[in-house]
Amino acid sequence: MNDPLETARRAPERRPRQSFELEETGFNEVPKRFRKFYRRWRGPKDKLAPNEALCPVCKVVIRSTKELRAGDRVYCMPCMSRLELVEENGVLLAKVIY
Amino acid sequence: MADFLANYSIQKWLESCPQGYLEDTVFGHGPDEREPDDLLKNESYREQQIRTTVQLIAGERCALAASSGLVNAAPDQASKTFLATQTLDEGRHVEIFTQRLYDLGIKPDDLESTIKTYINPHLGKFAEVLLEKVDKKDFVAGVVGQNIVLEGMAFSVFEMLHTGALETNPKFAHTLSGTIADERRHVGFGENRIGELIRRYPERKADVQRMQRDMTKHMLATFHEAFSRSPAVADTVAPSGRKSNATYQGLKLAEASNEEMESALSATVLGEFKTRLGRIGLEYQSPV
Repeated sequence: MNDPLETARRAPERRPRQSFELEETGFNEVPKRFRKFYRRWRGPKDKLAPNEALCPVCKVVIRSTKELRAGDRVYCMPCMSRLELVEENGVLLAKVIY
Repeated sequence: MADFLANYSIQKWLESCPQGYLEDTVFGHGPDEREPDDLLKNESYREQQIRTTVQLIAGERCALAASSGLVNAAPDQASKTFLATQTLDEGRHVEIFTQRLYDLGIKPDDLESTIKTYINPHLGKFAEVLLEKVDKKDFVAGVVGQNIVLEGMAFSVFEMLHTGALETNPKFAHTLSGTIADERRHVGFGENRIGELIRRYPERKADVQRMQRDMTKHMLATFHEAFSRSPAVADTVAPSGRKSNATYQGLKLAEASNEEMESALSATVLGEFKTRLGRIGLEYQSPV
């Protein structure tokens, strides 16, 4: 099963990444084997976990088994966008790679 | 060719869509789901729903014509394949919203006359601007018009209608949730494909931005006409008195005035346009 976390940056990291157990979220817009890697966004008040990123294109939350960090690349299967995580003002944002 | 194009395959579409979220649905909803009785028995509420559904059919007919026309304008096989799947999505949308008109009591023989009676004239002009580009086989402008402007608008409109229908009309909400899932792929294709092409052909920016400005003008006129013609109560209020608690962009839909609804929807769609266009290197052009 492919984690949407495609690549991690190579720079040395201060502490090991947290690991996460992913459960089903009821998201059904991708083939069954990938469903646990995504969930529906619940709006601006929806707080993302350290292993989650919001796709700016289709507003679906992407989930990884590992904590996400700036420089990571993730894949949004519902809209087929490739994203790179960047840190802006202390907040992790996903940017589309064209 | 960018490797993201390899993801556009019929097999992936089959697994996600017909074998995924559409599995076991009939015309996009559960086999046992029906339009609510109180809707069907209240003439003004039913007419309001017919008017809304006619606009959805008109928009989807435009999207069907555009996506099928763009298949032959696409410069690569992967884009043709994606647009072929989008053509089937749009054809399905036309069919499920047409079926909803039948479920609301419109007879098949009266379909075209009903559409003619209720269609918003500005929506026709909106479609004309897009289909002119498609007829000229202008792939870049056609995809911006179809997959960013039209689909971006549809995405927000469907989300608002879905929010309003969740509590009062599960059948319509279910129908809309499948179309929203389809729209995610369509806007994703628009952004990813055009994001790459605009970087390769920056000389196309001015012309594409003009088209966006013209389409935006007709879209805002469509919203204004739609909300000024609607009854004072929003779509979310069932005549039985069952009031929805649904909120959209901070507005309580059951209590919002038509002006507030129009303002919230327009602001949401325009905000999304600006953000999406900015990401792919285009500058939003205000029609005013």
